[in-house]
Amino acid sequence: MKYAFYPGCVSRGGCPELYTAATKVAARLGIELDELRDVACNGAGVLPKYISDPINARTLAKAERLGETLMTICSTCTGVLRAANLRLKEDPEYREQINRDYLAEEGLQYRGTIEVKHLLWVLFEDYGIDRLKAQIRRPLTGLKVSPFYGCFMRRPPEVVTPAKEDAGRKNYLENLIDAVGAELTDFSGKGKCCGFPILTSNPDNSHAMTAKHTGEAKQKGADCMVTPCPLCHLSLDGQQAEAAKARGTNIDLPILHLPQFVGLALGFSPAELDFKRHMVSTKEVENQVSMLA
Amino acid sequence: MEVTFKVYRKEPGTQTQPGRSDYKIELGKDATVLDGLLKIRDELDGTLAFRASCMRGYCGDCTIRANGKSCFACTTRVSSLTQKSPEITVDPVRNMPVIKDLVSDWDTFLWNKIDRIHPWLEPPGTAANGETIIPDSVMADIRKAMSCYYCGLCDEGCTVLPVDFGFMGPAALTKAYRFVFDPRDTATRERFKYIEESKGLWDCVHCFEASEHCPRGIAPTERIMALRDKAFELGIQNPRAARHHYSFADSIKKSGVLDEGKLAVESEGLTNIRGLVRLLPTAARALRRGKAPIPYIHHKSPGAPQIRRIIEKAEEKHR
Ligand code: SF4
Ligand code: SF4
Ligand code: SF4
Repeated sequence: MKYAFYPGCVSRGGCPELYTAATKVAARLGIELDELRDVACNGAGVLPKYISDPINARTLAKAERLGETLMTICSTCTGVLRAANLRLKEDPEYREQINRDYLAEEGLQYRGTIEVKHLLWVLFEDYGIDRLKAQIRRPLTGLKVSPFYGCFMRRPPEVVTPAKEDAGRKNYLENLIDAVGAELTDFSGKGKCCGFPILTSNPDNSHAMTAKHTGEAKQKGADCMVTPCPLCHLSLDGQQAEAAKARGTNIDLPILHLPQFVGLALGFSPAELDFKRHMVSTKEVENQVSMLA
Repeated sequence: MEVTFKVYRKEPGTQTQPGRSDYKIELGKDATVLDGLLKIRDELDGTLAFRASCMRGYCGDCTIRANGKSCFACTTRVSSLTQKSPEITVDPVRNMPVIKDLVSDWDTFLWNKIDRIHPWLEPPGTAANGETIIPDSVMADIRKAMSCYYCGLCDEGCTVLPVDFGFMGPAALTKAYRFVFDPRDTATRERFKYIEESKGLWDCVHCFEASEHCPRGIAPTERIMALRDKAFELGIQNPRAARHHYSFADSIKKSGVLDEGKLAVESEGLTNIRGLVRLLPTAARALRRGKAPIPYIHHKSPGAPQIRRIIEKAEEKHR
């Protein structure tokens, strides 16, 4: 199994622990990663489409050259790249225009043949959850985990779940929690927005959203939360203390990146998965895990 | 079938706490929630207040929540709600002050917000023959936005409104789209000034909840994103959003990738000392954790020159 790997800016910047964990987990599972090194940020929904579509066409063209499905480790990268891909696939005229105007000069062309998938989807749809289960060395028995998807892994349906068979994508995190032997702590905010996109334009609202979700999961009894989106992590982990303070409470809910969570079950130590870089202390989770090992 | 409606009740001008009243009624198998409410009002309790107008799913007047989910009372069949239990809950929609029972205050919810975007066309002087011809392809898109029911279901589902009721919300912003993208409108810059005010366009988190909730397929979130792209193209007028967006674009233009540390600082504004100080506690903690939150040497994509070329060309085309 080989993928054109798009790590995204956040895993190479603000959340370096995600990159570490993802590459280690992939190697352990035998998922080969062909990292795309000369591509751009996808625009993250901040850049207008007239700029992001051409740069994303370039990224897709690079993956197409390798002939591999493009794999991401970020909900936002997944959503933005998939939406661009959909426009380029659906409208050959638009695609040709972008090829002509932007890619030809570099000798590139996008033919519209590439699929974009998040690691979470790869695990379920390509790798197989039973195969993953067979690799588990440390079932996370007793660990109470809340899922948090990130908007772009849920909506809009034409981008996230275009075919009937894709419907399961809305439950992969819950299924994963179950598969690694942990206990699901469900809560109402799991598919909602974390607040990150308005962190600069309206920090108060952003923090209110962060506190609402982490607070609810904590109150329901979660030991930690797992997310496939590093931008969500920047809010849920990075801003949690501020958000809790604005509410006049403590929350202290550790937030794990998806590959860190899988990594624990595969037997990696928290240190190997770079837990030390988290803003909210992961001590309690580490203690619990150490008793399992 | 026999069904129990548990209906939210609130009596204005009294101290009585809002609560639910139970009504047991007999309904036909095709009955809608609205049929039930009408029956209750006609036969059991004349004081129950709710709104409904066309009674056939066109006007968006009867939005409520049935078993917690927002819907039109007139098109939702009771049988679709009673699979698990013969009891159903009927509540007013969220994010909106309630006047009485299921009747909410649409002024603060919607109309005052729509008012803020100046919802009228500012046409150019009348053409000589009194007609302004617009290609149908352009009008088709505007017409879709114009087909809005004003049912408020997008606002009802919005993620931001529960934390900030002052947010303009997707319905009003969709209305703004209708004018901004109308080729006859001459007030585009003015209009952006209104919608870019705080609690407007830039407060949306683009979560696509609004699109998921719109029964008309208008895709309010996509309209909001189109407005943002347009604002970017014309020059963002909200200073904070402008700094954030142009600094983001700049970072990618320079290195091909995003430098979040630099972005955070530049979004605050380099002369905004108070804003920058606010970043410090998080920054100090992050630094201790090796998170590099302040400007640092971000790795550069080897494709940077090509990426820059593409971005500059795209900007050139949209100038
Ligand atoms: S939850 Fe927030 S950061 Fe995560 S994908 Fe959605 S908008 Fe982005
Ligand atoms: S996309 Fe924006 S306006 Fe729509 S529901 Fe989400 S936050 Fe609200
Ligand atoms: S955009 Fe859709 S959901 Fe929103 S008010 Fe109009 S019809 Fe209702």
